[in-house]
Order: sequence, then C-alpha cells, then structure tokens
Amino acid sequence: MPRREIEGDWVMGWPDRKRYRLAPSKDQEGRTIHARTPFLELEGLITPTDAYYIVAQLQMPEPVHPEDYTFEIFGEVENPMTYTLEDLRKLPGHTVRAVTECAGDDTEFWDYLESRKKGGNIPKPSRQVREDVEGVDWHGMADNDDLDMEELNALIPATCIVSGGEWTGTRLGEVLNRAGVKDSAVAIRVEGFDMGRPDPTIQYRSVGRTDFEVHDPGVINYDKGLPIEKAMDPETILAWAHNGEYMTHVHGAPVRMVVPGWAGNWWVKWIHKIEVMDHMPDCYHQTHYFVSGKGPDDPNKEMMTALGVKTVITEPLEEESPLPKGSYAIRGLAWSGEGAMVRVEVSTDNGETWNDAHIEEHADRFLWRRWSYLWEATLGHHTLMARGTDEKGRKQPVTEWNFQRKHFDGIVPVDIEIE
Amino acid sequence: MHIAVCIKQIPDPEIAPSLFRVDEETKQVITVPGMSPVISPFDEQAIEAALKIRDAAEENAEVRITALTIGDEGARGIVKHVLALGADDAVMMSDPAFADSDSFATAFALSKAIAKLGAVDLVLAGRQAADLDAGVVGPGLAELMGVPAITFARKIEVVDGTVRVVRVLGDGSETVEAPLPAVVTVAHEMGNVRNASLRETMRAAKKPVEAWAPADINAEAGEIGANGARRNVERLYVPAKDSTCEFIDGDGPEAIAGALARRLVEEKIV
Repeated sequence: MPRREIEGDWVMGWPDRKRYRLAPSKDQEGRTIHARTPFLELEGLITPTDAYYIVAQLQMPEPVHPEDYTFEIFGEVENPMTYTLEDLRKLPGHTVRAVTECAGDDTEFWDYLESRKKGGNIPKPSRQVREDVEGVDWHGMADNDDLDMEELNALIPATCIVSGGEWTGTRLGEVLNRAGVKDSAVAIRVEGFDMGRPDPTIQYRSVGRTDFEVHDPGVINYDKGLPIEKAMDPETILAWAHNGEYMTHVHGAPVRMVVPGWAGNWWVKWIHKIEVMDHMPDCYHQTHYFVSGKGPDDPNKEMMTALGVKTVITEPLEEESPLPKGSYAIRGLAWSGEGAMVRVEVSTDNGETWNDAHIEEHADRFLWRRWSYLWEATLGHHTLMARGTDEKGRKQPVTEWNFQRKHFDGIVPVDIEIE
Repeated sequence: MHIAVCIKQIPDPEIAPSLFRVDEETKQVITVPGMSPVISPFDEQAIEAALKIRDAAEENAEVRITALTIGDEGARGIVKHVLALGADDAVMMSDPAFADSDSFATAFALSKAIAKLGAVDLVLAGRQAADLDAGVVGPGLAELMGVPAITFARKIEVVDGTVRVVRVLGDGSETVEAPLPAVVTVAHEMGNVRNASLRETMRAAKKPVEAWAPADINAEAGEIGANGARRNVERLYVPAKDSTCEFIDGDGPEAIAGALARRLVEEKIV
C-alpha cells in the first residue's frame, strides 16, 4: 500500500524509522500540558508512553515527591486511613490493559456526519496529527472576549485523544475494603491535587455556541464522584505504573485512578483524597460538564460514564486516495466501554452489504482489538465503513447525540477512489 | 560541483527562557541537562539550499555536499542529522584546540578546512548562528578566501559557473550574481527544511565523517580557538527583564487614544 515516505531518525545511535511521538502543546516553561496521540502512525495495542495523549481539565499541578506523597481515605468508612505510596505498593497488585479515551475524542465527527447525511459541505476532520496545528494552550482562552468557534475548532483538533495502555497498581476495592466501607456508601469522591477555575471556553467549544451561561464554581480541585459499584469493580485500580515503568507526572503520578471502559475524565490523576459518601457529590466535571442532554437548559442532564462501541479505520486513509487497483487490507481498531469487542463488520459499498472482519483475540476486555479485512478493490469510487459489536451485544453506534458532543462512536465512512 | 556547508550546534532555541542560564564567571552558557544541542536553524536551511541546488542540477551532473562543523563530540548528532537529510560527507573539527573560537577564529579554521577540501565551488552557511546571532562568519570566510560574499539568500541558483541569489531586503528582495567560487549565507526565507527519509538515514550511517585536527588544516595553535580569537568578551549575562503595566484613562475612546499616543511618544516607542 502506498504510504507516505517513511521518515528516518537516529534511535540509540542507529538509523531507524522515525519514532512518532507527541506533538504537544506546552506552557511558557516548556512543560507539556496537552497532547494528541498519532495513533495512525503506530502499530500494536499499547501506545508508547511518549505518545500517550494528555488532557488536563484544570491547571497541571506541581509534582509531589513519591516519598512525600500521601492520600487519605475517609467519610463513610469504619477506619479512615492515610496511605503513602509505599503503603499502597504493599497491597496485592493488579495490572489492567485498557483504552483511555477522552470524552471529547472525535467530537467534530458529530457535525461532519450530520452534514454528510444532508449533503452539506463540512470538511472531514482529520485523524492525522500534524505538528503545525499543535502548540495551542487550550486553557487561557477565557480572556478572549471575541470567541470564534470555527477558529477554536481549527486551532485545537479534538481527534486522536485516545490511547491504549498498561496500568499497574492495586485494586481500589482492596483499599476500600481495608477502610471498611459502610452500607450507606453510594459513591466515592476522588479528588486530585490539580486545581483551577474551569475555563468556560472549553465548554463553549464543546457545545459549539456561546449563548448560554456556564456555571462558575470558582477555583476547585478536580474531582469525580464514582458510583460505589464501579469503584468496587475488580478492574478499577489505583495505579502508580504505566506501560512498564513508574508513572510520569503528566499522567498523574504518584497515583491515578484507572476506570476501564469509562471516559478519561473519570481516571482522576494526582489523587490526594478519597471520600466515601452516602450520596452522589456535586462535582463540576460531572454535573455541569461531561453530561448528556439536549441542550444547556435540559432539566434531565445525566452524567456520562461508559464509552460507547467504536471502530476506527486506520488503513486505507482518504489522504492516500486514489489507489491503484489491487488487494488491500482494510484494518483498524475497535473498543467498547462495556467489555470486549466480539464482532467487527466491514462494508466497501457505503453500507449496502457487510462482511465480517478478522479480529485479533486477546484477554484484555477493555483494551482495543485490531481487526482487518482483505479487500479486492475494483475500479471506481468506494465508501468504506466499519461497525462493531461488543460482548454485551451493543451495536455501534450506541451513543445518542448530546449537546456537549461527547462520547462520539458513530460509523465514519472513508472515501477511496480506485484508478 | 562541490558545495561546502558550514553548520553549528547550538543550545535548543525552543527551550523555555527560564531554563536558559549563563555562568558569568566563566562567561559561558550553562548546558541544560537532558536538552540535546540542535543544529542552528539557519544552517539547516543552508543544507536545504544545497539540496535544492542538487535537485535542480542535471541528471548526470555530480553535486557533492560536504558539511563542516567546529564543535566537540556533541556535534556528532547534528552531523548525522545533515547526512540523513542528504549531505554526502562531513568534516568535524572537534580538537580541544578549536574550543572557544570567536567569529574570526571560526572563519579562519573553516577557510583552512575548505582549502584542504580542494576545489570547492560554493560555500553555504546560515545567515547567523541562532545562539550568538553575530552573522560574521560567512562574510569573514569570504574575505579570508578572497571570494565574493552574498548574504541573506532566499533562493540560490547555479548556472554556468555563476551563482544567482535572490537576497532578502528590508522592503523586498534583489537578485545578485557572482562568479564561483563564492560564499552565500542563507536566510530563513529559504523555506521549510525537508524531513529525513528512512532510506537516507540508513545510508547516512555509512557516509564518511572525517575528524580533522589543527595540523590537518595547516593551522598553528595560536591561530585557532581561544588563542586565535580577536573578540574580548567583557561580560556575558542575561539581561534583567522589567515590565510594568500602566492603564490609560480618559473620557471616551478618542481621549484615551490621544493619551496613549502621547505616552508612547514620551517613552520614545513611536
């Protein structure tokens, strides 16, 4: 398949292909505060740490030395406790491999698919990570009185905020059981030591308009109220290691929560408090942001939790069209917020007919699976599509349109010309 | 045709200003740990200019591109980089005797190295190094070689023993011609630098990199490095930045604009 010319680089002194790494946005100190994953350039299932996407809703905190680190667990428990990292590491360990996906990943595709259906002309968002569109601080836009939505969307693409990783730590349930959770417990409020005043621009950009009031909670710590059932799930862990090494600061060191299947905003980084509660807490990033509903005034907004069912075609790409007649592997990734992907179907005729793709089986239910389908391409225009089904029988797409345009899992066509 | 391109390794200009430090005692820039030096961006564009000349050359015309650098072993990284971009070979002058050269000593050593290379038709360099921004080495080199110098090139063509250069001016450009051999310094207006391809990077591992000591270029110890330097650094320091904010008041936009204009004139900003 004709790909872009393979770039070269020097890796450990040897000539090698260029290692695709983050194209990051940095603050004035040169520290990375936001980055997308060039997953089209990667292979396999685990995204290298240097290419793992980075999103922080509030300001990135200063690092805490692992030896000075503690977090408390209190509230509806028999024994409130304070843990050091060393205490935590003495508990039985657990490793999970899972997809981390930002709730806003691929948000532009909502409008694109709607426009395509109606014969509109919204250009297709690109999943190619190019350095020349990076480098924008998505915070600090609040000072800009003259917000231009198109400009904002062009400045900060919301594709490629998804990665697959291995996380090592201890089960959150283990920590909760040792504290003795009371029967009255409904949720745990997990708080990070990252602080800040939520930038309303982030929400305006998400919704796509500015004609409504965004709740201002003032300066807050980032927090989420995780329902107790998900907290006790054996796959939900408090992690201190990522991809085989101690976690890096940008990914939440010393300890972050890993909530397989649920969107990245649940994976609270830089944990310093776990409060067991007898009611759902009113967290900004749960009751005002990352909520479903028809509009800002919808009285029935609900917090968004598990990701939908999603497939992405990574080959071939529109950017490679036209292609010569021949056989091609249509391939990609598939993942679900509620367990393993069991079926991926591919259409090469705009959804008229569907054929089963080969899925690479593995034991990690919340990690994406690679799939492929051999296509004998004939002359003419072809619209390729892929759709998935998970172990719960959920068929893509499962997420309904919501006003903040989160959890996109629509079927995205790929137009290929064969000459 | 043989093109020599002079390249220099510098501290990464992309690092945060707060990380940039100098040692006022030794009058040296302090290396930031973990931050690899990079090729001066103007020099990278000089390499790109050489590659463009080769691209434009007739199919059977041989265009050899040699990169020259003065710098310690740390400069090997930028040498590998330009070889991966497409340079054919490189010369490193890493002997400690070359250390602490000023612009003159650098131009002198480069002129000697170019003389040793033999029949060099064209010498390219960045318009200035992006660390000290002096912009002296290129013209100095031309003077020592006794050949024409053309600065701030944004386009370079070689036709029948003549180099034709479009120079960047403050308010436009001009086209200048000179007979070869000549020295041309390259401005950033040359455009984007190509990426190294995997094939060329792999070939680069086999390309020759020679290490030349002062004796190899017939230079005396007193002529190069700190001994050959003619510049006397009185003091090296990071200037203190002081910023204040003043709000201009007035009755209505016109009055405010008037007051602002007067303040700008007072401060000699306009």
